Amino acid sequence: MTPAADADATAPRYLRDRYAIVGVGETTYTRGSNLSTRALGTWAVKNAMEDAGIPAAELDGMMSYSNNDSTPSPMIAGDLGLRLNFYMDVYGGGSSSEALVGLAMGAIEAGMCNAVAIFRSMNGYSQVRIGGTGARARAPVAGDALHTTPYGWFSAGQNFSPSFMRHMYDYGTTPEQLAMVKVIHSEHASNNPKAYYRQRVTVDDVLNSRMIVKPLRLLDCCVETDNATALIVTRAERAGDYRHRSPRVLGVAGRVCKPRSDMHFQHGPISTVAGRYIRDIIWPNAGVGPEDIDLTGAYDAFTFTTMLQLEDYGFCAKGEGGDYVSSGVMRLGGERPNNTSGGHLCEGYTHGMNMIIENVRQLRGEVDDSCPLDGRGHRLHTYDYSEGGCRQVRDANVSMNLGWAMPGTGSSLVMRRG
Amino acid sequence: MAKRPQPRFPEPHTEPFWEGAKQGELRYQRCAACEGVVFYPRQHCPACGADELEWLVSKGEGTVYTFSVVRQNRMPGFIDLGAYSVAYVDLDEGFRMMSGVIGVENPTTDIAIGQRVRVEFEEQEEGEYPIPLFRPIG
Ligand SMILES: [Zn+2]
Repeated sequence: MTPAADADATAPRYLRDRYAIVGVGETTYTRGSNLSTRALGTWAVKNAMEDAGIPAAELDGMMSYSNNDSTPSPMIAGDLGLRLNFYMDVYGGGSSSEALVGLAMGAIEAGMCNAVAIFRSMNGYSQVRIGGTGARARAPVAGDALHTTPYGWFSAGQNFSPSFMRHMYDYGTTPEQLAMVKVIHSEHASNNPKAYYRQRVTVDDVLNSRMIVKPLRLLDCCVETDNATALIVTRAERAGDYRHRSPRVLGVAGRVCKPRSDMHFQHGPISTVAGRYIRDIIWPNAGVGPEDIDLTGAYDAFTFTTMLQLEDYGFCAKGEGGDYVSSGVMRLGGERPNNTSGGHLCEGYTHGMNMIIENVRQLRGEVDDSCPLDGRGHRLHTYDYSEGGCRQVRDANVSMNLGWAMPGTGSSLVMRRG
Repeated sequence: MAKRPQPRFPEPHTEPFWEGAKQGELRYQRCAACEGVVFYPRQHCPACGADELEWLVSKGEGTVYTFSVVRQNRMPGFIDLGAYSVAYVDLDEGFRMMSGVIGVENPTTDIAIGQRVRVEFEEQEEGEYPIPLFRPIG
């Protein structure tokens, strides 16, 4: 179903090129931060402000998302000496970061504030683990959970794996092909001094790691870490006031759902994900197509989530995702590198934020690898992608982030070089 | 005796489903207005919005649409199961239900998409509601 030219679903295209991400920042990625989510969040937003060179008086909006495992904006703003004209802390995990960029644009467009810091702060290893925190009481259940909980369907891996199994059945996708997602992201992480896992791994390493939830092995799963991440959105015409040549937002789609988002698996093929619907919004709004994208940030909570999304957004034909992710296209030096920071599988788990931060730095041409700095603090990239080397993509002009909440819900953000 | 999570009542729209489980019946709904099959139970038909849904009893036979196998789960009710499957079963009456496949020697290797299965009500603790699970036919 393609909306009419003036339909609401495509309204954001009218903001194409009018907003910029002027600053990005993060904490370290650790397991055991020994800091509160308040301290982590303050640290990340402070780094994003310093990165942008934005004075406290010019940052008057703040947004965050969490699974009730974080600290709300007013606390962070207080610690930073900010006086807010707008804030909003929402519930949610993956797919929130792109959606919040769109909402920040809307808040500024409505005249509510001038610039918005978006952050995600989580002790994802030492406090609330997405993969489960061990024994809980045998609590009785009600509502929708009645049709999932008695069957032992809880964690993200348990939630998504039936989709992965059906994709393998429908299209002959193999664990060997999926293992290449981890292999490639580990190569990228080996050139990222910030990454939690910097060790390169092989296909055999993935296939020999222990089974967690069929078909997922340990190395198909992302690395839970403690960290906070932040970015700052403002109008493109103000971007020149700040430090960088800031990437512009070409298009955004937020929390787009498959039909029957209550129990998506009951409707239509489960091996199709929300990207199938997002693509009808994001490509026309951004004014580009898959062939125009130089690098992607396809959410890698698991190796499979990267593949399912790239396929349904149209980077390859339906069913050919296994070939796409194992072909080398996604590798640094390949046609369209994916998650050049190492992503969730290797850099750290942030519910999507680190993949936007990475693409912002890529579009600036200033990825923070180990290449030497010139006198003004700019990287002199070598484009030598061997272990410990460069991870800057040559001629990075247009990027896409493919955010994932679950098979039935996702978000997307397309940016261009500023 | 299994110790799977139990429904908490009042639960107006799904209580007939659980009462059915006690009687060994796998119940589902059908819309009186558009005749659409509705599962899981609710107040309104998701196809046409009508709120007259009638209860029917499934024969309890279907096909595994997809599944996964959880290798271990430390939560009460699952810790003793060892590896167990979560399966989505297409019932012959036209609804898809999340459940699990039991009665195989090794869930990790012995369950397949397309397998024919029949419902079976797993007894829980004294006085509790049984949980509908599926066993391969033949
Ligand atoms: Zn109806």
